[in-house]
Amino acid sequence: MTGAPQDWTRAPNVNLRQVGKPLVRTDVPGKAQGRTRFAGDHVMPNMLHAKVLRAPKASARLTRLDAAKARALEGVVCVLTAADLADRRAATDIPGQTGRKRLATDQQILVRERVRYHGEPLALIAAETLALAERAADLIEYDLEPLPGVFDPVEALKPGAPIVQGTDNVVATYKVRKGDLEAGFAEAERVVENTFRTQFVEHAFLEPEVGLAWVDENEVINIRVSTQVIEHFRAIADALGVAHNQVRILGSMVGGGFGGKEDVTVEIYLALLAQATGRPVRLAYTREDSFFGHGKRHPFVITHRTGVTQDGRITAVQITMTADAGAYVFLSPYVLLYAVVAGPGPYRIDNVHIDARAVATNNMYTSAFRGFGAAQACVAHEQQMDEIAKELGLDRLELRRRNFLRTGDEIATGYAIESAVWSDDCMTKAWAALGERAPEDGPVKIGRGVATYQQSYGRITWLHDTSEAWVGVEIDATVVVRSGVTDIGAGQVSALAQIAAELLGVSLGEVTVYNSDSATTPLAGTTTATRALYMTGNAVHLAAEALRGRLIGRAAEEFGVAPSEVDLAESRAFVIDAPDKSMALKDLVGICASEGIHRSELAMFRAPFTGEIDPETGQGRVHPDYAFGAHAVEVAVDTETGEVTVLKSVGAHDVGQAINPAAVAGQIEGGAAQGQGYALSEAMIYRDGELMTPSFSEYLIPTAMDMPRVQSIILESRSGLGPFGAKGIGEPALTPVAPAIANAVADAIGRRVFELPITPERIVMALREAEPRKGPR
Amino acid sequence: MYADFDLVIPETLDEALEALAGAVGGGNGGTQPLAGGTNMIVDLRARRVAPSRLVGLGRLDGLRGIRIADGRVRMGARTTMSDILRHPDLAGHAPSLVDQARVFGGQMVRNAATVAGNICSGSPAADAVPALLALDAEVTLASPSGTRVVPLSEFFLGYKRDARAPGELMTEIAWDIPPAHSSNRFYKLALRKGDAITVVGVAVALAAEDGKCGTARIALGAVAPIVKRATAAEAMLCGQALTPELIDAAARQAVDDVDPIDDIRASAEYRRHCVHALTRRLVTQAWERLT
Amino acid sequence: MAETKTIALTINGRDRKVAAPANATLLETLRELGYFEVKSGCEKGDCGACAVLVDGEAIDSCLALTWTVAGRAVTTVAGLSLGGAKHPLIEAFEKSGAVQCGYCTPGLIVAAQSMLKDTPEPDDDDIRLGLSGNLCRCTGYTKVFDAVRDAAAVLRGAESQA
Ligand SMILES: Cc1cc2nc3c(=O)[nH]c(=O)nc-3n(C[C@H](O)[C@H](O)[C@H](O)COP(=O)(O)OP(=O)(O)OC[C@H]3O[C@@H](n4cnc5c(N)ncnc54)[C@H](O)[C@@H]3O)c2cc1C
Ligand code: FES
Ligand code: FES
Repeated sequence: MTGAPQDWTRAPNVNLRQVGKPLVRTDVPGKAQGRTRFAGDHVMPNMLHAKVLRAPKASARLTRLDAAKARALEGVVCVLTAADLADRRAATDIPGQTGRKRLATDQQILVRERVRYHGEPLALIAAETLALAERAADLIEYDLEPLPGVFDPVEALKPGAPIVQGTDNVVATYKVRKGDLEAGFAEAERVVENTFRTQFVEHAFLEPEVGLAWVDENEVINIRVSTQVIEHFRAIADALGVAHNQVRILGSMVGGGFGGKEDVTVEIYLALLAQATGRPVRLAYTREDSFFGHGKRHPFVITHRTGVTQDGRITAVQITMTADAGAYVFLSPYVLLYAVVAGPGPYRIDNVHIDARAVATNNMYTSAFRGFGAAQACVAHEQQMDEIAKELGLDRLELRRRNFLRTGDEIATGYAIESAVWSDDCMTKAWAALGERAPEDGPVKIGRGVATYQQSYGRITWLHDTSEAWVGVEIDATVVVRSGVTDIGAGQVSALAQIAAELLGVSLGEVTVYNSDSATTPLAGTTTATRALYMTGNAVHLAAEALRGRLIGRAAEEFGVAPSEVDLAESRAFVIDAPDKSMALKDLVGICASEGIHRSELAMFRAPFTGEIDPETGQGRVHPDYAFGAHAVEVAVDTETGEVTVLKSVGAHDVGQAINPAAVAGQIEGGAAQGQGYALSEAMIYRDGELMTPSFSEYLIPTAMDMPRVQSIILESRSGLGPFGAKGIGEPALTPVAPAIANAVADAIGRRVFELPITPERIVMALREAEPRKGPR
Repeated sequence: MYADFDLVIPETLDEALEALAGAVGGGNGGTQPLAGGTNMIVDLRARRVAPSRLVGLGRLDGLRGIRIADGRVRMGARTTMSDILRHPDLAGHAPSLVDQARVFGGQMVRNAATVAGNICSGSPAADAVPALLALDAEVTLASPSGTRVVPLSEFFLGYKRDARAPGELMTEIAWDIPPAHSSNRFYKLALRKGDAITVVGVAVALAAEDGKCGTARIALGAVAPIVKRATAAEAMLCGQALTPELIDAAARQAVDDVDPIDDIRASAEYRRHCVHALTRRLVTQAWERLT
Repeated sequence: MAETKTIALTINGRDRKVAAPANATLLETLRELGYFEVKSGCEKGDCGACAVLVDGEAIDSCLALTWTVAGRAVTTVAGLSLGGAKHPLIEAFEKSGAVQCGYCTPGLIVAAQSMLKDTPEPDDDDIRLGLSGNLCRCTGYTKVFDAVRDAAAVLRGAESQA
């Protein structure tokens, strides 16, 4: 898009009755009263209990596996090892909706010979009780011959390193060549270079992975499972060697996902055991299983070399990124791509050079996590902005202001942003909300930090993303929505109900949403990538609008006016300028029914489709659109012990249109907590590939005692591609938090800890480097 | 649960002692007491212990509660961390004990976790222990053949080893109410503010006499195989008017009194650094309240 | 194999006789009986998802052996509202938007109820202290603070009327 940027501040003043109101989400009462059944809360008669036996080493050869004693134990019904399975592999790629060729990412289902990571499954057990299954796991004998492993991506690139994947451990590479880097640096008056590191992070959803599988009378394998993606039925069927229509996934309300239930977890194990035993099988991961059982957030090493003029204009940036992909590919290539697209941050930089690679190691595999690469990119670009400001002696906010993207500007991949870019507004408001600075007290220093971001919503445009939804009106004028979308706790289902209620003029309580069943609900695509509201919200919008058109058309006939003069609200149809001319929606629906007017609609929403970016320059469109915003914090740092207290935490985001502002605030608050853990206390520690932090007493997510009240500032440009101009908030809420905290800590102590998490110990060590004589001998 | 054991729940102390008598005490196997279970159940599940029989103490109401009389605080073995927080008088003369209870686990753990269980868990990071050591607490150990009183400072023999004879039950923890001119404090350094394992725990108790430090107690958690008093550092303070220099020197001495390890939470070096910083800070604060 | 015994206890106001082996935790027993609102999140006391009231005091049911609660009154979130009206904490959690995925919610509400007994007029720090054993990964706790304060006010009002 060219020409003057559009002025989104004058967004059309739509007359919304339901959308934009902080209604109690439809799923909430059941959850608060303890009535909601999660996937683990279903049992069946004759059900077996399953257990996964995992390898206690990170790199080894399995030379012997003998399950005879386990099989002989009374009450053990089935033990499966690789020898019992057909030689099939499980796809770990994005579940294709497009038939696009899959990346070569497949993973062995059970270890056949080589163990590549600590916790890789060796055997599956199904027994009459869980205790028996656990006992059987103890009875399985195996020998693991240690193999040399590699636990650092840089080491893994060296000649002679053990090969974990492919021929050289390189799982994916991306590059960006935009503008003229040399010229950009020539124009620069200062060059600032820094390297930033991030850690392995665990999703730590409260509900561990769980499922229940059974084979029905039509030989269909039914799996009720806690997942973000019911479309995995295809990958599961392929792994089992059955037709796609022979696997059914039923979701439930999901007890948290954050990307950790985006890949297949327990489904294939359950299906294999149900197939083998002919009985229902339940598999519930323990917390420890869960920590072993799904991919982590990628650790990144990111170096920024930035050229800048004395007055703070960035003229060039050269970025290198190395991500630890762990032992299997999973979504690493995509995570890396997202990191590249977001690499320079929400800034207009004409000369950009990025080289990024994801490298296999014998660490736990890494995959999707809220923020999906853009979060790691943000940790780097926002700390770098503060370092540049420090170098120039310029205000940190002012430096950002001088470089912010505006609508119409190109991002690193050359795509020109078409929607609103309200970074400045968000940053200014978040900063102002910090209010008065807390006083310093002896060794306790106060610091402030801010971070801004550019986060995509919706999937990569060459994945040809679509979403379907069905909306119908019953004869009593209640509304039904059917859509495969999974609800992972952010109110995905309730938002759909709110959209349907808005367009069909009923209250939220009159809408029932059936979701998350691959057999009976139209496929909506995944609840990932901040796409659920954008994609499925639009699908519901399309379907409900079509239905609304028909209802209004018939009502207009009845009233003898033009359809444009009729509206629906409060379960009535009425003439806008003569509201006494009205009828109950129920009567209108009755008329439609008696005349055979179609009272339902199935709609498909299609995201923008493009080809792939140019592999040499990285130029092209990658995402439908981007969200912008900021997070600001104030911290207190005890300079003697290194302890950090987050005193204030404010998120300000342009969400386009808040469908439910209470739910949006909830996302911002939750993102603030997750980002705070990312910054300060959370680390999955692997020593030589072995997990050292397999429980919530070692892996420390923030508790209520760690959290300040989070303030949410919601801006609405109504410029997004989602329903009513919505963008998205799921991932953006998290992305800027950790770098804002890192910047605040650096502000407080005058030194920067370049590696997350910023533990008390790292702070003390950074301060000691500054004053080497301090501290005991 | 996978672990397999018998469970008896006696109604009286005598029955409990009888049930425990002849137990192969401590460590693995045998008969072991079960109080709040907040260590025991976790250890059972992790297969760190494998008792064949547990003796549940939950019905021995006589072992629960805090009685203050005749200048002495007597705390039943089953007294929970929440009981400590609820008690109206403890905050006055044993703020260190109340402070540790506030930062002990989360509410549900505090409602279940007992003081004796904390002591007998043998963990060097047991949070009630530094405060109790600094208060010069004594523990009563009972068996069918009688009871004996052991100073807490003599209770711990080594990592997860203590003075209990096989089958002995801890019934009471007691200490003299500190004199009027005294002050005690506790600080827990951990990697998270709520519900986290202690990285360094420091308890300090000072009593003043004529403008000088009469007695000094410094007890340190999570920096040695057992919770330890920094006796050499204490000695430097006794009989002195405390100056910032002296306090700093004593805090440095405390570092020499401990023997921390590297683990996933922190390095030994950082722990030493914090022993110094926190001992200095707590002694300073305690002294300021006395002068 | 561990011995199995029948014990009597009250669950959500109902007297029940329950057969359980010596090594069963209260969490296991309650879920076996169909009290699925009691959640399992770690089974080692770290998360609070399994919290229930025993004689009015919240404990982690994963750390209690079933036999040890014989003769006691066990209450889950579903038992708080007995006698018709929705419990003020449940009402407040719904209205404040303190529920997202909802997996932590039953435990949080039970812990809040237990805390309010000792601290009927809590400030944010009291709530932090009372709920620090309940992990929530979704909400960041802000709306939980609101919900508990609102409910406390309602409960105080009800108290002063009674
Ligand atoms: C989530 C969580 C958080 C925790 N946080 C903390 C914390 O912040 N600080 C801390 O210090 N600890 C903490 N702990 C550990 C534990 O809660 C405490 O050590 C607690 O005090 C143990 O008491 P209990 O009554 O539960 O003991 P139990 O688990 O019942 O018993 C512990 C040990 O003591 C023995 N024992 C118990 N009572 C007696 C007795 N009267 N006589 C002789 N032996 C006895 C038992 O046989 C067993 O060996 C935590 C535990 C969990 C699960
Ligand atoms: S399941 Fe009991 S505390 Fe986590
Ligand atoms: S609402 Fe999901 S963990 Fe609390």
